[in-house]
Parts: sequence; structure tokens; C-alpha cells
Amino acid sequence: MATAAMEVNQKNKQSIIEQKQQQQQDNENQREKEEKEEQQLWSWGAGTDGQLGTVRLQDELLPQLLNLPSLSSAGSVSILACGGAHVVALTSGGKVLTWGRGNSGQLGHGDMANNLLTPKPVMALESYFITQVSAGWSHSGFVSDEGYVFTCGDGSFGQLGHGDYRSHCSPVKVSFFVNKHVEQIACGMRHSLVLSKESSGTLLYGFGSGKRGQLAISTDRIKSVNTPDGTRGFDGVQIITIAANGDHSAALSADGELYTWGRGLGASSDFLSPQHLPSSSKFSKVVLGWNHALVLSDNGEVFMLGGNHHGKLSNPENTTLSKHLSGEAAVLERVPGLDGMKVAEIAAGAEHSAVVTEEGAIKTWGWGEHGQLGLGSTSDESSPRTVSLGDEVQHKDGTVRVYCGRGFTYAIRSPP
Amino acid sequence: MSYDDVEIEDMQWNEELQAYTYPCPCGDLFQITKEDLKLGEEIARCPSCSLYITVIYNSEDFADNKSKNNLDPQKQQPVAVA
Repeated sequence: MATAAMEVNQKNKQSIIEQKQQQQQDNENQREKEEKEEQQLWSWGAGTDGQLGTVRLQDELLPQLLNLPSLSSAGSVSILACGGAHVVALTSGGKVLTWGRGNSGQLGHGDMANNLLTPKPVMALESYFITQVSAGWSHSGFVSDEGYVFTCGDGSFGQLGHGDYRSHCSPVKVSFFVNKHVEQIACGMRHSLVLSKESSGTLLYGFGSGKRGQLAISTDRIKSVNTPDGTRGFDGVQIITIAANGDHSAALSADGELYTWGRGLGASSDFLSPQHLPSSSKFSKVVLGWNHALVLSDNGEVFMLGGNHHGKLSNPENTTLSKHLSGEAAVLERVPGLDGMKVAEIAAGAEHSAVVTEEGAIKTWGWGEHGQLGLGSTSDESSPRTVSLGDEVQHKDGTVRVYCGRGFTYAIRSPP
Repeated sequence: MSYDDVEIEDMQWNEELQAYTYPCPCGDLFQITKEDLKLGEEIARCPSCSLYITVIYNSEDFADNKSKNNLDPQKQQPVAVA
């Protein structure tokens, strides 16, 4: 057992050395490309599993401009799904590339190889046009334009939805949805949500761990299910977007109404069915951390749910994050410190948050121990601070988007 | 400070690490070994950061096995009769 592990380690080391050499060679070619107007990617935060796409297997406290020729040659990135320690990139041409931690098979390359430093295409999905992707703690989900959904990675809680508890290292079509039209998949820590468009409207399904009510498939706490089951509590509600992270779930309706369920946010108890959070605002986007949620309203305002300890995790005086108060609903609070600036994009890691203002400025706050705030230190921040991507970017036009993995962050600037 | 309270049945046994693990928000894993549990330890630490969790478990489930072996008939010594 020890010898086999050593051999695997040796192979991984050799593979990493080869990857580093390739990366250095690519760096030399990169200088010419900088003149051309291509998408630019930066990453920062926890990096010891290769999730940052840099050559170095270490945390980065400041945004690192990335050189990823295998990604840029595949096309422009339309979605970057960031998981526990891996990244799933979707191009505008429907192609998928993955990198980072892969020891549960979440990268979908047909092996359990670890620490993939550079993006590699998921060959098993080559014949499909993928339209949406999601990255959970240790599993990944992919949706095709024909409405199929595929999953791979850890399956020990049934979160892959194939009817067993096996893990898969290559994307497998979820047969339950073969005759339905899937629009989205959202992958949390140990559960998955799927939004499917059917003749009766959109329907929501859940599978994986349900101990905290995150599946909303029953009035009881369900330990786990390994095949999709219908979410209850959305009769007459048209859900258009879903989110999953940690042990909770969220959704937005076509009317801009917010629903959350699963593990309680802030001081609230767990909810086994979707809770509507009343608000005078209409919401267009919701993202989840492990103890907080962010919602973006139609008029560019950002609200936070839970997250009382946001920016206090490294504080030694802070004791247990106890949630002894039960039955109290979490309250939507406007995020302070944005100075009336309108927000265009929001993203949430496990314990940090990121937004992009309408002027293209990235602001982060929350837990900062691994540099995931990109501010050059490991300090926590309790309110938004501006991240600098570098002087030359400030003067350029184009769109900036931000994405958060559990302990890391990515930014993409697309030329106008 | 304890980031969370986690029941032992919600942790996963990791053969490679020889420890019970639970996801840490940094991307690594909170870890606690069987030996730790046997000693009554209830803190599972993350090797990558300052966070740790409190493990909820029944200490009897991880206590020394000697008391349980008495129930095993093969281990009981036959009584010598003079």
C-alpha cells in the first residue's frame, strides 16, 4: 500500500516537473500576445492544489495575471466555475477545460490525477455543446444545449445522481434527465440541484446529502439520495436560477423573488423547505457561501444574508460560531461600504465575498487568511475593499467578471 | 476559535491520510485521527490554516477495545479444574 502510494507520488512529481517546464516555455511566447486584445485572467487565494493556474503550488495574496495558452486557444471563457480546489472553465464555443485538484475525479479526465496545473480539455464532452457548468466541493456538473446533464467526481453522498454512491472520474450522463430538458446544475458541498424545463414549467430536483434540508425533497431530514427527486415548495413559482454551496441552496424566481433552504444562514435554524425572503427589491442574482448569501438587485444593490462573522474568522477573540437561536429567519442586510456605487457582478467563496462595480472595480471582503481577498495580506476585512489588477487595466475598457472558489478567487477581463 | 461543530458520522474516513476528515473553507481538510479520538480529543485541525472544528462523538465508540474483547468467547481463558 505504501509502495503504491510512493509510486503515485513519484509519477505526480514527474508530471508536475514536466508541466512546470511547459509553463516556462509558454511564458516566453506570451510576451507577443500581450499586444493583442485577448481575455485576461487573474487568480489569487489558496493555491496548493493548483487551483490558481499558476506554476507555483502556493497561496497568492495578490492577483496573478495568468498565462494559460491551452485555455485561450480553446476560445473565450463564458463561465468559470470554481469548486473546493478545482476550476471548470466553459468557453463560448461550448468546450470545457478543467484544472486543479482531481483526486476525486472532479476534473473529468478519466483518472484521479492530482494537482493539474494547466487547463486541459474534457475530452468526454467533446461531442457536446456545453452551455452551463458548476463546481462543488469535490464534484462537477455540466449541462449541454440539448438538455443533458453530466456529473463526475466524488459520489459518496449520492451527489452525482446516478443511483449509487460511486465516484466517477469522467463525466457521466444523469439518466434521470434524459427525457427532460435541463437548464442548470448547481453543485454544493455534498449535494446537487438541477433546474429542468418541462411542459408544466421549470422544475427543481435535488440529490446527494439532505441532512440539513438542502434538497427540500421531504418534510423530514433525508440522510442522502442518489437519484434526483423533486423539490417541494415551489408550486406556482417559476424558478429561473439556482445556487448551491456548503449545505444550503437558493433560487430566484422569474419575478425576482429570493428563496433559500437547507442549513440556516446566520442565526437561523435549518429549513427543510424553500423560504421566501420578502423584500421590496427584485433580485437578478444569488450566490452562496458556507455561512452567507449575497443577492444582487435589479438596480445594482447588494444584500447579504448571514455572514455575521464575515471578516472575523481570523480573530482569536472570536469563539464558537454558535447558532443557538432557532427559528429566527436570516435578515437581508445591505452591504455597507459600496458608497452608493452600483454593482454589476457578485460572487461568493466559502467565507469571502467579491463584487464588481458598474465601473469595473473589484471589491472583496470576508475571510482573508489565504489571500483570497487579493489585497496583499492575510487579514480579514469586514467591509468591501478595492482589489487592484494593475495600472494598465484601470485605463482600459471592457468587462470585468469575478468568480470565487471555496478559498480562492478569479477575475476575467474581456475586451470590449 | 471553533469554526463549526461536526458530528463524527458526517466526517469521511480518508484511507490515505488515516484520519477522519471534513471540508475546510480554504479547500483543505479538517483532520482527526482514531488515536486522537481514543484520547478523547475533540479538535480536528486544518493543516493549511488556523481554523479548526469541534468533533461531536460518543467517546465510548472510540475507547480502547479491551473491555469489548471480554465478550469474545475465543479469548476467554478456560477455567482449570483441579
